[in-house]
Amino acid sequence: MNRFIIPLLVFGLLVVVFGISLKHAPEKQVVKSALIGKPAPEFSLPDLLQPGATVNSAAFKGRWVLVNVWATWCVECRAEHPTLLDIKQQGKVIIVGLNYQDKDADARQWLAELGNPYEAVAVDREGRASIDYGVYGAPENFLVNPAGVIVHKTWGLTPDYWRTTMLPLIEGTTK
Amino acid sequence: MTRTMVVAFLALCSLPVLAIDPAPLLPDPVQQARYVDLIHQLRCLQCQGETVADTQAMFAKDIRRQVREMVQAGKSDHEVRQYMVDRYGKIILLRPESAWLWLAPALFLLGGIAIAWRVLRQRRALLATDTSEVGDEPEQS
Repeated sequence: MNRFIIPLLVFGLLVVVFGISLKHAPEKQVVKSALIGKPAPEFSLPDLLQPGATVNSAAFKGRWVLVNVWATWCVECRAEHPTLLDIKQQGKVIIVGLNYQDKDADARQWLAELGNPYEAVAVDREGRASIDYGVYGAPENFLVNPAGVIVHKTWGLTPDYWRTTMLPLIEGTTK
Repeated sequence: MTRTMVVAFLALCSLPVLAIDPAPLLPDPVQQARYVDLIHQLRCLQCQGETVADTQAMFAKDIRRQVREMVQAGKSDHEVRQYMVDRYGKIILLRPESAWLWLAPALFLLGGIAIAWRVLRQRRALLATDTSEVGDEPEQS
């Protein structure tokens, strides 16, 4: 009898170890942002819609900001666009676009065709600001509070997700 | 015949060396080596399962450029890794920086050796005292 106890204990220990590691294993597709609760990275980038001007992230402090990373090559961004227009309509946040690895002419045409939900669009041609934001694709959305802290990050926005998950974050603190 | 086979084999062996990274070598060979080492330690988040060194994904290109610049600017390996972890989280590291993870195999091996040694010693002691019990498992003392 005695000799079964040690193997059983070892087995039990392994179950516990693997159980814990499974729980903590990062989800395959979804990489949680390391930036939640941290100050939104500052950027100062060329303005897509006003040639020669710069978009400075500091200018948006004091307001709720949705930083939306997008590109014309990104099919999901096209699907997301109506939601962005809708969010702009609601007026709870300003949307700042970060145009990621795109062509200026294409991006301007996109906005002319589909409508412009953005307060300003910063051109991140080289993807440096995007690295600061931990961006690895598009679309990505960062909700920044008036103090300039990132409170939420998600990928493509849907009207449902906006209403059930992100809007309460804004309204919870504005009450 | 054999020679052809050997040449063909060696040629095939060289395939993994085909460079993905079109960037020119860094002028300092030590920095170049560190750069190559570092990009093999970072996960491409756009195409998980590959390193940043192995793909032409846009994300990987950006990260390679960032690593190059940081290495050239004299940042240490640790600083480069920390920079990436601060932005992307630990998942970007393909070699986790956890001492326990690396020590665990050695500890398990040592533990196994210790157990085997004790069992063998008990068995030998038993054999020496009582030959009639050959083949039986030694009892726990």
